[in-house]
Formats: sequence, structure tokens, C-alpha cells
Amino acid sequence: MALVEVDHLTVRFGGLTAINDLSFTTEEGSITALIGPNGAGKTTAFNCLTGFYKPTEGDVRFDGKSLAPLKPHEITALGIIRTFQNVRLFKRMSVMENVMSGPHSITKQSVFGALFHGPAQKKEEAFIRQTALESMEFAGIADLGDSIAQDLPYGLQRRVELARAIAAKPRLMLLDEPAAGLNDAEKEELMALIRRCRDELGITVFLIEHDMDMIMNLAEKIVVISFGSKIAEGTPDEVKNDSVVIEAYLGSEDEPA
Amino acid sequence: MKQSTSLRAFLGKRSTQWTGILVVLIFAVTLPLYANIYVIGVAWNALFYMLLALGCNVIVGYAGLCDLGYSSKVAIGAYTTAILMKTFGWNFWATLPVSILASAIIACLVGMPTLRLRGDYLAIVTLGFSEIIRLVARNLNVTGSASGISGIKSPVIFGVKFSTPWMQYFIFLILVIIFIFVSLRLKRSRFGRALEYMREDEDAARAMGVNVPRFKLLAFVIGSVMGGLAGSFYAVKMGSFSPSYVTFTESAYILLIVVLGGMGKTPGMLLGATLFIVLQEIFRNVGNSRMLIFGILLVLIMIFRPQGIWPDKRPSFLPSRRERKQLSERTETHGTG
Ligand SMILES: Nc1ncnc2c1ncn2[C@@H]1O[C@H](COP(=O)(O)OP(=O)(O)OP(=O)(O)O)[C@@H](O)[C@H]1O
Ligand SMILES: [Mg+2]
Repeated sequence: MALVEVDHLTVRFGGLTAINDLSFTTEEGSITALIGPNGAGKTTAFNCLTGFYKPTEGDVRFDGKSLAPLKPHEITALGIIRTFQNVRLFKRMSVMENVMSGPHSITKQSVFGALFHGPAQKKEEAFIRQTALESMEFAGIADLGDSIAQDLPYGLQRRVELARAIAAKPRLMLLDEPAAGLNDAEKEELMALIRRCRDELGITVFLIEHDMDMIMNLAEKIVVISFGSKIAEGTPDEVKNDSVVIEAYLGSEDEPA
Repeated sequence: MKQSTSLRAFLGKRSTQWTGILVVLIFAVTLPLYANIYVIGVAWNALFYMLLALGCNVIVGYAGLCDLGYSSKVAIGAYTTAILMKTFGWNFWATLPVSILASAIIACLVGMPTLRLRGDYLAIVTLGFSEIIRLVARNLNVTGSASGISGIKSPVIFGVKFSTPWMQYFIFLILVIIFIFVSLRLKRSRFGRALEYMREDEDAARAMGVNVPRFKLLAFVIGSVMGGLAGSFYAVKMGSFSPSYVTFTESAYILLIVVLGGMGKTPGMLLGATLFIVLQEIFRNVGNSRMLIFGILLVLIMIFRPQGIWPDKRPSFLPSRRERKQLSERTETHGTG
């Protein structure tokens, strides 16, 4: 069974239809890309998968379970983690603290744990630290734990955001334009890291991207949407040669990538 | 011998910080030895405002909520204790769990519907609720109407009557230490971090799995309970409590201390409260224009140091020395092997 099922999803904002009867699936253990011109509704689709928006019609399912009635934190608890199109770190906190937010969804100590510092609380706190350090190491930012997030260059902030997502030990990672604003070297590193997330950690990756090189290299399946509707779906080669896709892209973007 | 060397090593690391804490603590404990009644009274007042600031700080500083009615939380605790002692003849200590419970329940009732909404609805609701508490207290017989409840008996603690000034001073000092302990423990935990994530970026916090309304409510309840406890002790210290305490001015003073001290910073609350009381004593004769002075002070702080007077400190969570060592060992073996 597919891990993610988007089933006749429609999202409207007043009169504007951002997503129109969209259906596709993502297999467990795959790297899938969602592409489309600006304003096509890609981020909106992610927002529905993470509980930030509610479907107007249709449904989104994860592992067979409908996500529509769930709140963002409940969805995160199922093992879905997201990053944002424009990096959203906890700016004034240390990188360590940022990455420690990853295991929040898989731990549960609250006020009494905080006040009484019992063995369960200590064990969990050690687990959170350990997980954070491992994720930082995995993402190649192990030596940045002391830095304040907002002081880092943009490329590293992207990496911190990814480390934070990895630290949640998710089943599914939704990455909204992870390569935006990165230079070529950084893009290469990012691609390698995303691939390692899938290969070594077994995380299913679903990403939105504008960078065609990256998509073609990384994704096994591509879903193309335009004005909220799916216009193509298939392997990179299939999509690359699809006349409808070429038209949609040439029609909306002046410069081909 | 052995102990003293390890103590020195311990102090050496963060010597300035610990020396500071030790000096303040020694000063605070020995104060009644050389201070006169007036000074002890002022010091007690500072301690009381420290309690209120520490409690309000959990709501305003930690959770980033705007509470404009903190004095009503004090009133809930004070009235609970006053009524149980005066009308039902309870022992003071027995009233405290009830005071905690009452504060928590009322905070839930106010917070639950409001904290789900975005934005600063809480500011309006807390302001309005505070007004309701005052009006209800003024009009009920059980709260003694407008004149309030007086003649609350002073409890006896370790054979000493609570009504002696130095005993009051010490009990409140112990309370402040407990509140500091609670504040620090809350901050340095998964709970405290979640609040900080929420304050930094609410959407990102939600994406990381923080149940935002729940954590806001928890912080609101904890802050309210702290205010209620302070109120219970205030009631027996004063021997009376009346609705005239529950004013917007009082709530604004508490908020002023929290902002002045630096939201979220525990030592800032202590300094803010001390400064506030000292200024209040200095300008005692100026009467109502005191308000003007505090207003100007607040504006100046907001312009020149919006993060409050207490200096910024390092983040609470960083890789420890041991963790760093483990890491460098691991990367070394990777490199050579
Ligand atoms: N909360 C909202 N309220 C109203 N309209 C919205 C909202 N969110 C998105 N939209 C609209 O929905 C459409 C799709 O937006 P979306 O952000 O999903 O596009 P996108 O494919 O991610 O584009 P980009 O490549 O620029 O990120 C846009 O027209 C946008 O203005
Ligand atoms: Mg987008």
C-alpha cells in the first residue's frame, strides 16, 4: 500500500481554487518530487498533509489513515515532518536547541517531569540530547551546536532545518524547496544528504523543488501540477519529455533552467 | 581537605556566577540581623513582588502570553485562604492545596476557550476577567463585600507567630527560593523548550509537534497557581484582604516588573522587583505622579533596552564538554580508520 495517498483533494480559499481534484500516491521508501510553476498549489498540498490547512473536498491519507481531521502536532506524532519554503528556525536559540526540537514529538515528559526530575525524565532528556547530537552529526553540522541559528549563513541554516527534521526520526519527510537559495556545491551536498536520509535511515522523502537538475537526479517519481491540477506523473524521463509539462513550464517561466 | 579542593574547582568554573549568588543569599539571610523594622518591611514587599513577577513571568515571559489581570490571580488564592480560615476555621496550611486547586481550575476555565484562538485575545479576556473578580468579590457576602475579609488569624510556624516581621520576611524568602527553583526547572526541560520554540516561531513549533494550545494552557495554569499561592501567604501576612487590591494598576505594576527585568529571565525578575520597590520608596511622597515616573521608565526601557535590564545570557542548551569529546573521538576514528 502507498504510504501517502492524496485522494481527489480540492482546496479553496474563498473563490480561489488552489488545488483542484488532485490525486496521486507516494510509495514507502521512495523519493518523490512535486513540481509546478509558481502558485501552482505545491505548498498548499504540503499544508494539507501536515494539518496546517484542511481539505475543502477529498482526503489525504498516511499509511491508510486520514489526516484531514488531525491537528499538526498529531500528524507529526504519526511520523510526518516538514520543512518550510523559507527556512523557519528558532532564530535566537542555539543550533543544539533547534535540533532538540526534533525529538519533541517522540517524547512526552511535561510539567511534573520538569519539576521533579525523576529517572524517567532524566532518561528522556538524555535521549533527546543523544538524538539531537546524532542528527547534527548525520547532517554534517556536529560542530555548530553552540552557534545561534540566525548567525549562520543561509546554507547552513537549511542544514540545521534538515537536522531538526531528521532528529524527529520520521517515516516521511516533506521538504519544501530545500535547495532554494543554495549555491551549486551546497546543492550537491544537500542531494547527497537527502539520499542518505532515505538509504541509511529509511525515511520516505517527498519534496517540492524548482531546480530541475536536482529533481532529475534525485527523484524516482515526479508529480507535476499546474493551477492546482495534476498535468503529469511519472519517472523523470517520462516527465521530461511530456509535451504538456514543457508547455506549462515554457508558458509560465521566461528562462528555462 | 578533599572537599575544599573540589569545591574550589567547582567554584572556579563559574566562579563569578556562584560568588554572586552566594553574596546575595548571605545578604538576604542575614538582613534581619542589622536592618530595622522599616527596612525589613520594604524587603518583605520586594520579596512579595518577586513572587508575583516570577509567577507572571511563566505566563508572559516563558509562554509569551499577554496577561493584563495578574492581580486577580493573587486575589483568588487570597480569598480561598481567607474564606476557609475565617468562615470555616481551617488551618492555614490546609488551605494551600485548595488555593492551588482553585487557581488551577479558574485558570483552565479562562484559558481553555481563549488560548485556542490566535492573537492577543488573552489580553482582553484577562483584563475583563480581573474586573469580574473584583466586582464579584465586592458583591458577595462570603468575600466580605467591599470591605473584604479582615481578622485572618496568623498561623504559628515552628512555634513562632507568623506575624513577627522577621518571620514574615523569612517565610517569603523561602517562597522566593522555591519559586526560583520552580522557574529554573521549568525552563530547563522539554516543557520549557517547547514554550521557547512556541515563542520564537509558533508555526515551526507546531510543525515539530508542539501542541501549542495545551502548552500555553499549562503555562497559564502554572503562572496562575504561583500567583494564587503568593496570594494565600499575602492574606495571612496582612491579616485581611479586600477587593481594592484587584486593580488594573496592580496588574500593570507586575507586568512592568516582568518587562523591566527582562521577560523569561529569572534573575531579571528579582532585580526588577527590587528596583521597583526601591523606586516606589524613593518616590513615596510624590503620590500619584509615581505612575508617571513608572510610565516614563517603561518607555525608556522599551526604547533603549527592549529585552529588559538583565544582561542576555547564553542559550540554556548547548553540547556538553563530554558530548563534544565523544564527538571529536568519533570523527577522529572515522578520519584515521
Ligand atoms: N492561506 C491562503 N489564503 C489564500 N490564498 C492562499 C493561501 N495559501 C495559498 N494561497 C494561494 O493558493 C495558490 C497556491 O499557493 P501555493 O503557495 O500552494 O503555491 P506554490 O505552488 O507553493 O508556489 P511557489 O512555487 O511560489 O511556492 C496561490 O495562488 C496562493 O496565493
Ligand atoms: Mg510554495
